Amino acid sequence: MNYMPGTASLIEDIDKKHLVLLRDGRTLIGFLRSIDQFANLVLHQTVERIHVGKKYGDIPRGIFVVRGENVVLLGEIDLEKESDTPLQQVSIEEILEEQRVEQQTKQEAEKLKVQALKDRGLSIPRADTLDEY
Amino acid sequence: MFRYESLEDCPLDEDEDAFQGLGEEDEEIDQFNDDTFGSGAVDDDWQEAHERLAELEEKLPVAVNEQTGNGERDEMDLLGDHEENLAERLSKMVIENELEDPAIMRAVQTRPVLQPQPGSLNSSIWDGSEVLRRIRGPLLAQEMPTVSVLEYALPQRPPQGPEDERDLSERALPRRSTSPIIGSPPVRAVPIGTPPKQMAVPSFNQQILCPKPVHVRPPMPPRYPAPYGERMSPNQLCSVPNSSLLGHPFPPSVPPVLSPLQRAQLLGGAQLPPGRMSPSQFARVPGFVGSPLAAMNPKLLQGRVGQVLPPAPGFRAFFSAAPPAAPPPPQQHSPGPGPHLQNLRSQAPMFRPDTTHLHPQHRRLLHQRQQQSRNQHRSLNGAGDRGSHRSSHQDHLRKDPYANLMLQREKDWVSKIQMMQLQSTDPYLDDFYYQNYFEKLEKLSAAEEVQGEGPKKERTKLITPQVAKLEHAYKPVQFEGSLGKLTVSSVNNPRKMIDAVVTSRSEDDETKEKQVRDKRRKTLVIIEKTYSLLLDVEDYERRYLLSLEEERPALADERKHKICSMYDNLRGKLPGQERPSDDHFVQIMCIRKGKRMVARILPFLSTEQAADILMTTARNLPFLIKKDAQDEVLPCLLSPFSLLLYHLPSVTVTSLLQQLMNLPQSAAAPAPSNPHLAAVLQNKFGLSLLLVVLSRGEDLQSSDPATESKQNNQWTEVMFMATRELLRIPQAALAKPVSIPTNLVSLFSRYVDRQKLNLLETKLQLVQGIR
Repeated sequence: MNYMPGTASLIEDIDKKHLVLLRDGRTLIGFLRSIDQFANLVLHQTVERIHVGKKYGDIPRGIFVVRGENVVLLGEIDLEKESDTPLQQVSIEEILEEQRVEQQTKQEAEKLKVQALKDRGLSIPRADTLDEY
Repeated sequence: MFRYESLEDCPLDEDEDAFQGLGEEDEEIDQFNDDTFGSGAVDDDWQEAHERLAELEEKLPVAVNEQTGNGERDEMDLLGDHEENLAERLSKMVIENELEDPAIMRAVQTRPVLQPQPGSLNSSIWDGSEVLRRIRGPLLAQEMPTVSVLEYALPQRPPQGPEDERDLSERALPRRSTSPIIGSPPVRAVPIGTPPKQMAVPSFNQQILCPKPVHVRPPMPPRYPAPYGERMSPNQLCSVPNSSLLGHPFPPSVPPVLSPLQRAQLLGGAQLPPGRMSPSQFARVPGFVGSPLAAMNPKLLQGRVGQVLPPAPGFRAFFSAAPPAAPPPPQQHSPGPGPHLQNLRSQAPMFRPDTTHLHPQHRRLLHQRQQQSRNQHRSLNGAGDRGSHRSSHQDHLRKDPYANLMLQREKDWVSKIQMMQLQSTDPYLDDFYYQNYFEKLEKLSAAEEVQGEGPKKERTKLITPQVAKLEHAYKPVQFEGSLGKLTVSSVNNPRKMIDAVVTSRSEDDETKEKQVRDKRRKTLVIIEKTYSLLLDVEDYERRYLLSLEEERPALADERKHKICSMYDNLRGKLPGQERPSDDHFVQIMCIRKGKRMVARILPFLSTEQAADILMTTARNLPFLIKKDAQDEVLPCLLSPFSLLLYHLPSVTVTSLLQQLMNLPQSAAAPAPSNPHLAAVLQNKFGLSLLLVVLSRGEDLQSSDPATESKQNNQWTEVMFMATRELLRIPQAALAKPVSIPTNLVSLFSRYVDRQKLNLLETKLQLVQGIR
């Protein structure tokens, strides 16, 4: 069954397990059940996987309907190689805690950086305030 | 609706009192509504029907329990959920005094009862209790899994059964929006993005999508008398050979292989006219094996690949052509690939080598994959390793109860849209990278085939069909009986909304910054225009090949013309003037895109024009170098310049060298410090260019000893000065040139003595060993 070889059509990916990366940074893993011409996806038995360092945790989410424009990339998961990772799975609470800690350290580092720049009289313009024309 | 004797009675003033008066009249108005209270309202029949239906509900849990034995657990859950939802909805509609009704009580008792919420309803609609009961009647009928309910219900009805339904439907309120709030906009029963059903049936869809009363379709089309019993699973049904069900008048686009959709239709087909299931309804049918839906797809691909695709009608026509060619067997239980294989084999004659929409490479890939799959399946039978991988995948698919939720038809629909997007009148314009990539691949494979004796695939020429550009004459929307046309702007008919007048600002008002910015913008615009010209010019070669003989001179003229305009753009030609300043060109060269563009344009220019460009560059090189500090794009100009240099005569080279090194006109003049040269030497591009120029000069000298002495003298003078300068420059901070020409040593040896030669050598690292 070959739909449009040489093109990026999702039809052949249906009913297969996929990993989907969204624009907001979330990673979803689920069975791709349905698509449409905008690459809106219907994911089944979806699991949101949070990665922190070498650990990851899975949050079961059920059915996801993803609007196509929010997908950064997606790829099929080889079921046989799926368990072949160097990453360590941990519980949900633990991974959420780790994520929180990571966010915190990032924020503090950012604060320090901004402060240092301010001391030197510089400022990094944030992307949303850039206005060229 | 408003029964006034005459116009005068109408309340003209629209203040609140009048409106309230209207509100009070609502109930009166309702009384005049025939459907609810008038001749349409007949008490007796619906009650009986209703009671019978209520009995059905008691039977239903039993029926459902039977089914779970065969089907999956999930389906049971689905149904169970459905019933609970139904119960909620029903109870919301119930007004308290209704609970006395024995029919309702019985119905409600079979499910968990939630508290009635009278407040949630707008009383003016739901006032009539009779209305409510009637609504519930048809509602119950629809919300059940249609199979069992109706098949039970129908035989028991009195002969006027169909009439009942009709009455019910007439008595039921007309279609409402999903929310009970008056005035909410009508909801499309079928959202705009859904794949088209074979024939849209709003009533049935509505039954699924909005659980509100709806006209039940009057008498059924001839029912199949269920020769196979009520409870055959879809698979069983399909495997019945020569079943009359196959004679179903499906639209031609559906292959004789019973897709899951059709099986569901068969089961539910008793009530519906054929081919009218919505995908959502389908979801309730018990999950079944993911049988290979391969039948259509390879056909689709191959045929489609070859097909010019006009909009939808043509496509569907193609579909109808496909099925007759491949009659797959009805049994679905052979190992997954089996029917797949057979379909593939039977499709070979359908293959059309003459037209390719995508690319012949695609079809080759398809063949390869088909062959691969065939090989794998052969090895599967022999328990090969590779085959086992594939078979485990197939197994997985077979065991997946949620497989094929997306119907074959829907997949086809999506790929049809994607294919339509590929149609183009000018594939080179629309799909440049794809075309080039596959041309390269073709060339590679052609080369390989010439060399080795690989399996000779069909050698098809790439003929991309051109879709005819349909001229759509836009006709503005016109309503019947109205005067004139609507001025509605749309995508096809854009209208000017704002009259924006461009006022050119006077020079004094602007600040310096703004002027600079404007100038930069103008330069950017010029670059863009020139770039378009460049792309066109670069494309002419291809167009020559595709064009007819007569057209070629015209094309050549066009090309020349464009080249001239490009040059004029670059140099900033003003009509009737010499070229006074390099400013225009320098501005272009300050922008990275401009530099790359100049590099691309140079091959197309005539020698004089190109030399002119080169001279200008050399003259302004320090400035350009300064501006290029961030981009570092100048080296891209090196190769076109070098190429050009080899066509330049000695005189030009001499003056070029002068310009480049900013040498004074006469050798006798004392040479002040030369920052120009310093800048040039410290830049990679500058140094490389200098070396290339020197090398060229040396070539000219050595190759042509009998040239005019004047030129020789000039060159010698310049060289003397050059060497002097070079010796003066400190070694530190010299750039690394892109390449060092080999004849420089001999060049310098003519003009300087041994000692200085050594110095020069070390300084410029002319000798290979040093590097």
